[in-house]
Formats: sequence, structure tokens, C-alpha cells
Amino acid sequence: MDAWGRFRRNRLALLGLALVAVLATSAVLAPWLSPHDPARQSLIEKRAKPGGKYVLGADEFGRDILSRVIYGSRVALLVGLLSAAIAVAGGLVLGTLAGFAGGWLDAVVMRAIEILLAFPYLLLALAIVAVLGPGALNTTIAVGIWGVPAVTRIVRGAVLTLRETEYVGAARALGAPAVALLRRHILPNIVPGLIVYATLFMANAILLEAALSFLGLGVQPPTASWGLMVSTGRDVLLVAPHVATVPGLAIMVAVLAFNLVGDGLRDALDPRLRGSG
Amino acid sequence: MRSLPARIVGGVLVLGLVASLVGAATAQKRGGTLTIVRPTDPVSLDPNLETTAPGAWVYFNMLEGLLTLDDKMQVKPALATSYEVLSPTKVRFKLRPNVKFHDGTPFNAEAVKFTFDRALKGSPPARWASLAGSLDRAEVVDGLTVDVVTKEPYGPILRTLAMYCMGIVSPTAVQKLGQDFSRAPVGTGPFKFVEWKTNTHVIIERFNDYWGDKALVDRVIFKVVPEEGARMIALQTGDADMVLIPSPAQLPALRKDPKFTVHETTGIRVVFAGFHAGMAPLDDVRVRQALLHAVDRKAILDNIMEGSAGPALGVLAPGVFGYKDMQLDKVYPFDRARAKALLAQAGWTPGPDGILVKGGQRLSLSWLAARGRYPKDGEITEAIQAMFKEVGVEAKVQVLEWGAVFQQVRGNPLNHHMFTLGWVTSNADADYSLYALFHSKQVPPAGWNTSRYANARVDTLVEQARRSLNQTEREKLYGEVQDILAKEMVWIPVYTTKEIVVSRTGVKGFHVHPVEYNLALWKTWLDR
Amino acid sequence: MLTFVVRRLLLAVPVLLGVVFVVMLTIDLLPGDAVTLMLGEHATPDAVARLRDHLGLDKPFLVRYLDYVGRVARGDLGRSIQQNRPVGTELADAWPATLQLTVAALLIATGVGIAAGVASAVWPNSLFDALARLGSLFGLSMPIFWTGLVLIVVFALWLNWLPVGGAGSLSHLVLPAVTLALPSVAMVARMTRSAVLEVLREDYVRTARAKGVAERWVLGRHALRNAFIPILTLLGLQSGQLMGGAVLTETVFAWPGLGRLMVKAIFARDYVLLQGAVLLFALAFVVINLLVDLSYGLLDPRVGRQG
Repeated sequence: MDAWGRFRRNRLALLGLALVAVLATSAVLAPWLSPHDPARQSLIEKRAKPGGKYVLGADEFGRDILSRVIYGSRVALLVGLLSAAIAVAGGLVLGTLAGFAGGWLDAVVMRAIEILLAFPYLLLALAIVAVLGPGALNTTIAVGIWGVPAVTRIVRGAVLTLRETEYVGAARALGAPAVALLRRHILPNIVPGLIVYATLFMANAILLEAALSFLGLGVQPPTASWGLMVSTGRDVLLVAPHVATVPGLAIMVAVLAFNLVGDGLRDALDPRLRGSG
Repeated sequence: MRSLPARIVGGVLVLGLVASLVGAATAQKRGGTLTIVRPTDPVSLDPNLETTAPGAWVYFNMLEGLLTLDDKMQVKPALATSYEVLSPTKVRFKLRPNVKFHDGTPFNAEAVKFTFDRALKGSPPARWASLAGSLDRAEVVDGLTVDVVTKEPYGPILRTLAMYCMGIVSPTAVQKLGQDFSRAPVGTGPFKFVEWKTNTHVIIERFNDYWGDKALVDRVIFKVVPEEGARMIALQTGDADMVLIPSPAQLPALRKDPKFTVHETTGIRVVFAGFHAGMAPLDDVRVRQALLHAVDRKAILDNIMEGSAGPALGVLAPGVFGYKDMQLDKVYPFDRARAKALLAQAGWTPGPDGILVKGGQRLSLSWLAARGRYPKDGEITEAIQAMFKEVGVEAKVQVLEWGAVFQQVRGNPLNHHMFTLGWVTSNADADYSLYALFHSKQVPPAGWNTSRYANARVDTLVEQARRSLNQTEREKLYGEVQDILAKEMVWIPVYTTKEIVVSRTGVKGFHVHPVEYNLALWKTWLDR
Repeated sequence: MLTFVVRRLLLAVPVLLGVVFVVMLTIDLLPGDAVTLMLGEHATPDAVARLRDHLGLDKPFLVRYLDYVGRVARGDLGRSIQQNRPVGTELADAWPATLQLTVAALLIATGVGIAAGVASAVWPNSLFDALARLGSLFGLSMPIFWTGLVLIVVFALWLNWLPVGGAGSLSHLVLPAVTLALPSVAMVARMTRSAVLEVLREDYVRTARAKGVAERWVLGRHALRNAFIPILTLLGLQSGQLMGGAVLTETVFAWPGLGRLMVKAIFARDYVLLQGAVLLFALAFVVINLLVDLSYGLLDPRVGRQG
């Protein structure tokens, strides 16, 4: 059975895929799916409870939460996917370099990683915004860079272990070039774990973007981002919990979707599952 | 059996007894610990180093100045019992006798001179030295008489001396503690310092040798609880007796709840959306006036501030000396039609996407704001942005972190059309605001004329008013300034703050002061 | 092994120097500076210049950097710009609180996370797996202030079992530690599941099974030991995140730790205080990384010692 076949049989993974499709549709078809203009304010209807005119309620400006959640999927997908991609790409490169090459290269990369890890995240974000300006894309880059050290360490750890396994050792002894080794033996073993990490990282990424947008470093008003909606709903959490909770649940659904797909991919791609259940 | 008259007398006596018992039950009780929660820890308790509320709330109860401002905004004697104007630049104060500092040393003219020297000529000088205008020094005349000297005639002198940060410090303590004085100040106030655990709490306790009415509670603990929701919960559970900076959204419910008392009064801070009057298209007064008409200030007060702030009727707050009601709601009522008409008059016509255009240029304004520096600053900016859109004006809002906003707003040139700021008239005298905000030479970084407003008549008026010691004349001059400003409007004043404190009903005797820094706790007592 | 440890600690020095350099440079780059922000509305050019001079902040970057490094080498972390208090004292005030919270959260995250992850791997795609996944994802996706405030409402307001905030006793530690640990529980659980699943399918595990060795023996000895490497890496990372990312938790629960201190320092551009805190964190990271790398060697002797 091939990878796609295994994936197809996994019901949870299919559910995840369906949810991702809903998300993507939301993002693309936002203008047609939203019942109201997400930026239209109606102060008198502030914090309207869910039901009636505003299906999921209204925020502190009387804007329709459902419409803002639909539009917010754009920022969520951008932030979630792009930052995860940056973190994974950067981490893969640095991690394999460090783990495989060893020696002084490993030492240098690891020290740089340690510097980045100790560097306060807020400062990193402020610096990137100071240089590139505010906006969703730039905060996404900041979040992505922040994720690189973690992925590097995970990849390096895995590479170190796999490097010493018998069959890599054997392949090396037979004179296989490094690149081939990486491609055929090492990377396929790392990728599943990475996928799982990346899908979880997305939740973190969206929440980090929330904190940054709240500080004014991310999306600018009146753009809707789930993270920003959650942050601004904080003040009224005890009075009108739906304002923060609904976008929070949207974050959860998106993360769940990618997580299910990720786990499904992991299970499907695991080379050792061939021949087993 | 007793006769009827006897029974009546008996009845009256019983009633009298009962009445007196009831009276005694509501008489002030001494003792107890008052727990107050607020969002941040002070940076310092030394008025020279800290002029913001977290520190002021605490040291206001420990240090006293020569004069003070009562909650009707009148100047009253504190450590000075009387004053006499000797010349336009010299005022003589007679000091209160038999006053001791917390460390037992006596309060006298030497201490006043020491405090002033330390603040004005110290290295570095007090943070507030720049707002003390022409205050120069204090001269000792005798043990209980001191002369305060200014470099030039200075109209606001009394109110400046009544400011919360003008507390007299104990010279002995300053010399003994050195830099540690900023963590444990010694003054003459009704409370003295006990302990400060950084980022956790500050504790002060009653000073039993205070010269006036002794404080009623034994101790006050100021706790730090940064999260607004958590502060309100602490009030509910009784972990806190009093909350400073409560959650506006919860106020309507709290006002109706018999377990809590909401103390509120109009404050002296105005939060506004300012225009860069030097940058087109805002250099056209018709555009500015149109924008004023486009904002529904009442909707903002009702729905965003939710009663936690009052209307801004001018550029100053009522209660500030020299305040004039600029009648903004009558002169610039919320009227979209009028706004559109004014913009049309100024030559702007609707473009293809609804935004106005003129000569190929879109009416697009760039707007700088922070979030959380002033109550709901980010929210009112977003609300007004939407209101502008309704009349065809596009506002590109950049919400940045305060440090970045501050840098730009303090800088020159300013590359934005609009900015959201607040301004508090710290000494409750119009000079402090009208001079710094509207004098043409006070453009940043020299002063705070962020709007780049320039009017020669206003310049003359504020200069004259600053130098006059005749308070009636000063009031008239400031009135004229505000009349001129009302026609040229370089701000959209959005709201005047309200000082709001919520306490549990067991906390009695507390009165909130219009000046946010004047948190007076010595008349407060606990009924538990 | 000793040479390895010593060598790594020596290698920490360039890391520390590097971090200080980058932090100082970044703060200089950011708009706004400590003095004007401190003076606020009293920031006349005169006052600003005088205060800068007084604090020595008007010297050029390299001079300040070398000055700082020299002082740190002598054990002096300087005085914070905002409060003019010795940085060492300010850090000493906040460090124990951070340590307590981090350790408590790490214990919860590790204990609950690994247990849930292992169970999920042993019964993949079961109801338990699904519930565990959902639950941990909830903890990961809902922002910390949300979970924090909800926990406060339930346990402090409704049930009155625990205090609202602040520090002091064990009961004060419970809610913040749980709130902080929740997102990590999800991470640890999922990664553990993934790692254990992989290992369960390793050849040598199948061989051991084929030989008839008891299931638990198989699981314990082989699976966990090798699954531990990625889990350990993750734990090392999580402890870093928990340390540095506790700001929100500290804010919601009024916990007087380093997180809030650092954020305040960043907003006030108080680089002296910030650097002191960052040095502390950097040192902590170096030690954690060292421990993680040492344990790679212990758990899987084939890996040998690297770096």
C-alpha cells in the first residue's frame, strides 16, 4: 500500500484534510462568505451576544465576529504556514549541517543557536519591525526566525542518532556520498517528527502573532486577525466571553486540522510502516 | 404601673439610647489594613525621580508640600500656614510649627531649602524641574519662614507649589540613605514607609506623631496585579479592598451592586486625536472642522468608554484653573452632512472608491497611535477611523508600541497627519497646558506643540498670562486663548478622564480626587 | 567527560559576549531611548542631555559595550537605568520566582505530557488518543490569559480554593504553574507519541517481540530509551520557552518573575537591566543544552560526544 492509500484509510487524517479545505475556502472566498463587512462598526451594538443578526456575536465595536473570523483565516493561514515553513526550512538546513558535519561547524552553529535562544523574543520582533515596518508579513518572519533554533536542535539531535545507525554506517563505508545519505536514509526519518512539530508550532505562531499584533507590531486596524481578536477580547473576557473565546476556538480548529493532517502524513510516510498495520 | 408621662419619657430615653448606639455603630473605627490593587509597581518613591501615578499614589500619603490642592481644586495650606507676596518674584511662606518628619527630625525652613535645592539644582535635577517654570530657589528667612523665589514673575506659582510631587523631604534621611532614599522616603505625611518588595507590594503604616488628624487605618498595602480581569476578581473575593484602574466594562454592574462602591469624579486629563496643522490637507481649517463634525463623540463615550470617561468640552479639563467651556458639542456637533459639505467647500469630491479626491490626490491621512498608553487609545482611534470612512476620508492607522510612538511624536519633523495622545495638566493651571501645547516656539523637541500650531496672538496671550500674578486677569487671557482655539481646532478632543476607584462597601470615608495622583487615604476607615 | 563539560562552559563565553553585543545593538536600533521615555512629558532637550550625560549614555556604542563587558568580568552588572538600582539585586529579587514557576511547570508538562504521549502511542487512534489530542490542543491553542482567567474564575472566585494571584505559598504556585504548563503538555504529548510510535516499529523491537519478550519489557527498555532523545531535546527547548515565555502567566497571576521584568525593560529601553537578565537566561540555556547533550551520550552510547 502506498502513502496516499495509508493516508486515505486514516479517518482522523481525512477529517483534518476536510477542515483544512474549509479554512482555505474561507480564506479565498471571504468576501462572498461573510454576512457583513468585517470593518463596519456599529458602536451601539457592541459585544452583542451570539444569535440573531450577528450569528457569532459582535465585538467591542459592534463588528460581526463571524465575518471577522472568516477574513481572519487569511492572516491565520499566512502566519501559521509561512512561519512554520521558515522555521522548518531554516532549522533543517542548520540542523543537518551541524549534526552531519560535526566538528567546528557544529560548534559554531550551536553557539549561534544559543545566542538566538537567549535573545528575548519580544526584542527580536521589535527589531524586525523597526527595520521592516509593522504588518502581518513581517511579524510572520519574526515568528519564523524565532522557531529556527528549536527545529535546528530537533533536527540535529535526530541526525546525530541516525548518523550512527548501522545502515548509515554501512552505506558510508560503501562510499555513498553525503547528499545521498541524507536524502535516502536520514531525512525520511526526520521528516515525520518534524511534521508533527510544525503543526503544533502553528498554534504557537498564531498566538505569538496575537501578542505582537496587540502591541501594534502585526496587523493594523481594521484588519482582522484571530490573534488580535483574542487579544483585544481579553479586557472583556469576564463580561462578554464570546469576544475572545470564538476566535480562540477558531485557532484551535485550525491547529487541530493541521495537526490531524500532520499526524496522518507522519503515519503515512513512516517508511517502517510498510508491511505493518 | 407607671404613669403615661413616665412611660413617654422612658420611651424617649430608650429611643435616644438606641439612636446613640446606631450612631456609634457608624462612627469611624480605627485600625485594620487596607489592601489596594493596581496595575504596576512604582519606579521610585522619590518625587524627584517619579512623577507618574504608581509612585505618586504611595508617596502622596507620606510626603507633604507647602500647599495642597483639595478635592474642589482649591489651593489649601499644608506645611505652610500662610503666604504673602513680597514682590512679583518672591513669595514668603510661614511654616507650620511643631511638625516632625517620620525619622523624628524637625520640619523647618532648612528642610524646605534643602528640598528645593535638591530638586532644582541637584545632579541630576528632579524630573519635574522643567515643568516648574521659573521656580528658582527657596531662601531661609528664619526657622519657620521661607521665601520662594522665581526667576521671572510666575503666575502659576501657587498651584505649582501645591503639586503632588512637591513634598518636603527630610534632609537627615536623604543624607543618611543616599540613593536608597528613593526606595524608602521620609516625609511629614500621615503615613510612613514600611516595606517595598519589588513587583509585589509596597506597605505603609500610620505615622502616630503626625501633626494633623491621625490616619484611621493601621496599614495600607499597595499590591501589583497587572491583569485587569484578575484585579476585578480580587475585589470580588475580598483579596483586595480597593481597585485603582478598574475595568470600564464592569462598572455598570458594579454601580448597581450594594457590595461595592464606585467612586468617580471628572479628572484633569484630556485624551485627543491631534492634527498636524502644518501638513496638507490638514492645514485647511475647513478640513479640520469637517473631521470634527464627522466624529460621534457621544457614541464613543457611551460605547467605548462606557461611562468611565466624561465629555471633552475643550482642550482643558474642568477643574483646571483657567478652564473655559469651549462648547464643542454645540460648535462642532456630530453632523455627517455638515462634514461632507465642508469638505466639498474645501474642494474635495468623491472618488471612484468612495474616498474623496482633489487634484488627483486621495484624502488619505496617516495616523499614529499606541495601544494601552491612555485608556482605550487604540479603540478610539479605530472607532474614529471608521467614522472618517463614512464621510469619505481614509485613515491609515499605525498602531505602534509606545516607545516608537513617543519617539516620533517628540521628534521633528513629524511624518504623520494625526496622532492619538493624552495630556494631563499636572499643576491644574492652564499655563501648564496652553503654553506647552500651543505656543509656536514649543514645537517638539522643545515642547509639546505636536500640532505645529502657530498663532501670534495666542503666543502673546500665554506669555502674558504666565507672567501675571493677577489671577483674574490670567483667567480672562486664557479665556481668549480658548476662544481662538475653538475656531482653529487643531485637536479632536475625545474625552476627559474620570478618576474612578472601586471599593468594597466596608471601605468608608474615601473621597476620590480629580487629580489622579492625589490618592488621599488618611480619612479612610474600614468597617469590618 | 570532564573535559567535555569544561570545554562547553568555556564555549559559553563567546555566546555570552555575543548575546550582550546583539542585545545592546538592537536596543540602540529601536526607536525611542531610555532617557526620553523616562522623562516622559518632562523631556526637554536640556533635561534629556543632562540626564544622558549623568548616566553615561551619550558615549558611543563600542565604548559602552567594552565598559559593560569589563564591569561584568569584575562581577558588576551595573545599575538599571529606570530605577538606578543594582541589576544584581533586581535579578536576585525576581529569579527565585521564575525558577519556581519554571520547574513546577516543567514537572507538570513532563509528567502529564509523557504519560499521555506514551498512552497515545500504545493505543493509537483510539478514543483516548482522540480525547487526549483534543484536550491538549485546546490547552495549546487557547491563549494563556484565557486559560489563566478561566482557572482563576473557577478556582478562586467560584470555589475559593486558591488565591487570585501573587506569590508566597504553594497554593499561589498551583494555578500559574498549570496555566504555563498547558501548551507544553500538548507539545510533549504529541512529540512523545510520535517518537514512541517510531521506536515501537524499529527492527530490534520487532526482533525482541518475536523472541517473545514481555510487552512491558519491550516498551520500557528499548522503546522509551531511544524515544527519549527527541523527547529530551524537546524538554530542553520547552524549559527554555517556559523560562522566557512566562510573561503572560506572570502578568495574569501577578507572579513577580523575570519575564515581566524583561518586558518592562524592553519597553523602557533599559538595556542595562535587560542585558543582566539576558545573561542569566543565556547561562541557563547553555547549562540546559549541556545537560541535554550529555544525556544524549548517556542514553545512546553510539552517538558519542559532539560539539
